Amino acid sequence: MLDKNITEIKESFYSDIKSVSSIKDVEDIRIKYFSRNGLVSQLFEELKDVVKEEKPILGKKLNLLRNEVTAYFEEVKDRISSSGLNKENKLDLTLPGSEYIVGSKHILTQTLDEIKSIFKGLGFSVANGPELESDYYNFESLNFPADHPARDMQDTFFVSKDFLLRTHTTPVQIRIMEKQTPPVRAIMPGRVYRNEAVSARSYCMFHQVDGIYVDTDVTFAELKGTLVSFAKQFYGSDLKYRFRPSFFPFTEPSAEMDITCYLCHGKGCKICKNSGWLEILGCGMVDPNVFKFVNYDSERYTGYAFGMGIERIALLKYGITDIRIFFDNDLRFLKQF
Amino acid sequence: MKISLNWIKEFVDLSDISTQNIISKLTMSGLEVEDVIDQTNLYKNFIVGFVKEIEKHPNADKLTICKVFDGKDDLQVICGAANVKAGQKVVFAPIGTEIPNGKFLIKKAKIRGVESYGMICAEDELLLSNDHSGIMVLDEKLDSGKSITEALNLNDVILDIAITPNRPDALSHIGVARDLAALFDRDLKIPKIKLTESEEIIQNLAAVEISDPVNCPRYIAKVVKDVRIKESPKWLKDKLEKIGLRPRNNIVDITNLILHECGQPLHAFDLDKLNNQKIVVKSTKSETTFATLDSKERKLPLNTLMICDGKREVAIAGVMGGENSEITESTKNILIESAYFHPSSIRKTSKALGLSTDASYRFERGTDPNITKYAAERCAQLISELADGKVAKGIIDVYPKVINPKEIELRFSRTTQILGYEVIPEKIKNILSRLGLAIKVLEDDKLLVSIPTFRPDIEREIDLIEEIARINGYDNIPTVSKINITLEQKTDETEVDEKIRQTATALGFYEMINNPLQSEEDAALTGNPIKIQNPLSADMECLRTSLLSGALITISKNIRQGVKDLKLFEIGDSFTKTADGEIESFNDFNEKQNLLFVITGNTTSKTWNSEENKSDFYDLKGLVDSFLSKISLDNVLIDSYYSAANVIYDYYLTKNFKEVVLGSGGKLQNEVLKQFDINQDVYGFEFDLTALKSIESKPKSYKEPLKYPKIIRDFAFVLDKSVKYLDVKEFIKKKSSALLKVISVFDVFESESLGVDKKSLAFTLEYFDENRTLTEDEVERDFNNLIILITKEFNAQLRGK
Ligand SMILES: [Zn+2]
Repeated sequence: MLDKNITEIKESFYSDIKSVSSIKDVEDIRIKYFSRNGLVSQLFEELKDVVKEEKPILGKKLNLLRNEVTAYFEEVKDRISSSGLNKENKLDLTLPGSEYIVGSKHILTQTLDEIKSIFKGLGFSVANGPELESDYYNFESLNFPADHPARDMQDTFFVSKDFLLRTHTTPVQIRIMEKQTPPVRAIMPGRVYRNEAVSARSYCMFHQVDGIYVDTDVTFAELKGTLVSFAKQFYGSDLKYRFRPSFFPFTEPSAEMDITCYLCHGKGCKICKNSGWLEILGCGMVDPNVFKFVNYDSERYTGYAFGMGIERIALLKYGITDIRIFFDNDLRFLKQF
Repeated sequence: MKISLNWIKEFVDLSDISTQNIISKLTMSGLEVEDVIDQTNLYKNFIVGFVKEIEKHPNADKLTICKVFDGKDDLQVICGAANVKAGQKVVFAPIGTEIPNGKFLIKKAKIRGVESYGMICAEDELLLSNDHSGIMVLDEKLDSGKSITEALNLNDVILDIAITPNRPDALSHIGVARDLAALFDRDLKIPKIKLTESEEIIQNLAAVEISDPVNCPRYIAKVVKDVRIKESPKWLKDKLEKIGLRPRNNIVDITNLILHECGQPLHAFDLDKLNNQKIVVKSTKSETTFATLDSKERKLPLNTLMICDGKREVAIAGVMGGENSEITESTKNILIESAYFHPSSIRKTSKALGLSTDASYRFERGTDPNITKYAAERCAQLISELADGKVAKGIIDVYPKVINPKEIELRFSRTTQILGYEVIPEKIKNILSRLGLAIKVLEDDKLLVSIPTFRPDIEREIDLIEEIARINGYDNIPTVSKINITLEQKTDETEVDEKIRQTATALGFYEMINNPLQSEEDAALTGNPIKIQNPLSADMECLRTSLLSGALITISKNIRQGVKDLKLFEIGDSFTKTADGEIESFNDFNEKQNLLFVITGNTTSKTWNSEENKSDFYDLKGLVDSFLSKISLDNVLIDSYYSAANVIYDYYLTKNFKEVVLGSGGKLQNEVLKQFDINQDVYGFEFDLTALKSIESKPKSYKEPLKYPKIIRDFAFVLDKSVKYLDVKEFIKKKSSALLKVISVFDVFESESLGVDKKSLAFTLEYFDENRTLTEDEVERDFNNLIILITKEFNAQLRGK
């Protein structure tokens, strides 16, 4: 009986001590096995009732057990207490951490970054151009004749008769084509100005990304493919889209690209003016008249161009309802992105 | 532009096509439908009500309790209109009706203690007009309970279409109908002229002379005598009202009808008010004033194209008629003008006068010179029908140089080359014919297309390709799933900007984007600003000359919001004039890219484990230096220090490359800050980024970590306050052995105990060699030597030893 108990308690001890990880666990084991009423002491109590003949053998066995487990217990106890796992610390860990400030890029910059990286992946370069432009680059070379109602589409700030604040980033297309022969594949981000009263929905200055691709065999079908690829990468692969005829003096045929309103999923809401569609960009095949200005042979080369407003994209994406907030630079706004 | 679908259906049969389909086809062919009012749906709940009895509301003077019969029951309805009377037939909105204006639902209501079961409506509530003077009173013969869509013929669909500037032909019902005819492959029916003319010959009644045939290539006159000016018939008034026009009298209404029907603006003169019964078209030779028929005196600039009679001006050509010759109730004889004016002439006049009318809008976009005769005859016909007039025999048509249709060659292969798919030739031919273009087959691949004069926008082959593409539908153009990417070198001109932005944000700066348009005072702070000729307002009349003033505006606004600790940066262009007078070339101004850092308030705020730390000059300097080192320009630029103030800074430093200043910054002057209502210290540093980018940064290469131990020594000296740290450091560098690799300052302090105008500077010196372990002796020798030299050179005293 006792013999069997010795074996059991030995097994139980080793199994218990395996999971010890704190001083409290160690103390629990001490109480369970080595205290006055502990399991080891109880075995010695049981020895009293053993028949005389077996006493020396079992007594010896019991002593061996006690020495073995006590030694192992002490070893574990030392290891636990010296490992530091249990040092009680007086720090109030719930206090807030120290403040480290990492700044951030303006949300419009971040939005532009995303657009840039998609087009760079599609093989586009990135180019800059001046904001203070000549009438020639901003209008004339883009097929806006003087005295044409098309100029009314873009209210312009003039600094002199022939110089103005560019109303779109499209003039950079001309600047690139003047410098380079096809193939030309680039996007042109930048700031543009419109002489429009400042309100929640429009500002006298905003940002655009224009793009152009000119080569042999560039078609409207490729324009569609490229812009659909962009839109799916930017807005999500399950979007629905449509291309609608429109008018820009520098492209022919021209189109506007709409995607299903991602706020109402096409059902119609305030943001999409109940149409279910959101206009995201204008595009078209580069007008042969534009090629004339840069001495490209429009029989040999064809191309497409597109342009989109960055503020509009960011407004929709982040649910911002007042465009002026972008240029207020209120830190409480800047910090959110 | 408002278009009535019922009116459209007079010209093209669309009876089997749903409204939704028509709308979507229009939008998808380039005539974007922006708004739709479907009357049948909008007015489906409204009925004719009969006001049986009325009595005063007991608790409100202005309200009336009406008993309204809805065809079945008598209902109690509270009405607020003054014109409600017993016996009237009215437009009644029963409970559950949505009122079009404001989109609110009629519910059972208790108004001042009396229950009301519906509403009696005014015109504006139904969006029929802006009239809110009283409730609409209907024909008493109408049956109570009848739906008003039937009773009032409100079964139309009104479309608001956005017409792009290239489509003057679509600025009329027939124009839109023509597109629909092509889209649905149907015939276009244009009303035929049925004209009965009198024996009197027009040439005996009036004469026309064009003395400016460039700006007025064609002028047609038609005369109708003995007309009766009166109210138009209901069908005509309805037609105009539905598209938002207010009926005037039968003559004016007829000219408006024709304008919106076929796009030709017409003007009716009172023939008896025309001196010598003569029309002369000429441009003004001096500045004059002219009273238009809206009773306004208009200042006419030189070379304004005018319609004159034998003596004086009678109308501003293509824009608006004059008071002196307008149709009045007593008018008997009429001269109808149907002319073609040169678009840019009308546009100039309209811009100069700031006056845009339905007529000028169309003329400046380009009307059809060859529809003028049709329009004049249709007008004469309608006047004879609706105003009992007698149409004089014949027509006056001054058309010195006939404008003929253009002919353009179209290649099918080019269509495919542009669109990326083949539209079959039969389809192309059909589309073009439906659009009213005449075609002739030249070769297998080629058509000769004759462009009628109502399509001035079609000038080239590419314009025809667009017509084919849009009528056949952009949806039918395939979307490629593969593109070629050439392996030529790609460039990114914004790459450096991105690196700068990343570095700046890592240093804790937030990016601002400020408006480059600012007040002259702010812009003049840092340079000679460029003025906007047509600014929105005085606080946006100049272009910024640096990024500083914009940043100060931002700082000021933030402080007012209670945000006082700021670290901000901006990358943007600045503009300065480099020549006096008008900007005529890119050499007359300088546009460059700048980069600005500004800090103000605390760099660290007071928290439970940190003290607040006010930002200072050294924070600015440290941030700028860390920034430069991150973009690998730290050892390329040289600092210059200025303790005396300039216009912007109390004291500042500049970063220079070979004598050229690339950036400067320091503590902003209080005077400057006051201009922006800022009363806390601000430190700023601005780079000429265009110049900075042009400097080649040092290429990075790997350096092995040191293998041998360093020997470190420090010493401190008491020096005159005027001695500069940098001078001492440079002196040490010059006089020490080559084993001294790093010299840094670890303590600076001033105290009376050091003596008057004295300070203590403490340095740490690091000695090492990449190839061996140094001996204490050789370091000690150099160190002691330095102490002697410094003591002598700077009249210094070694401390603590
Ligand atoms: Zn929506």
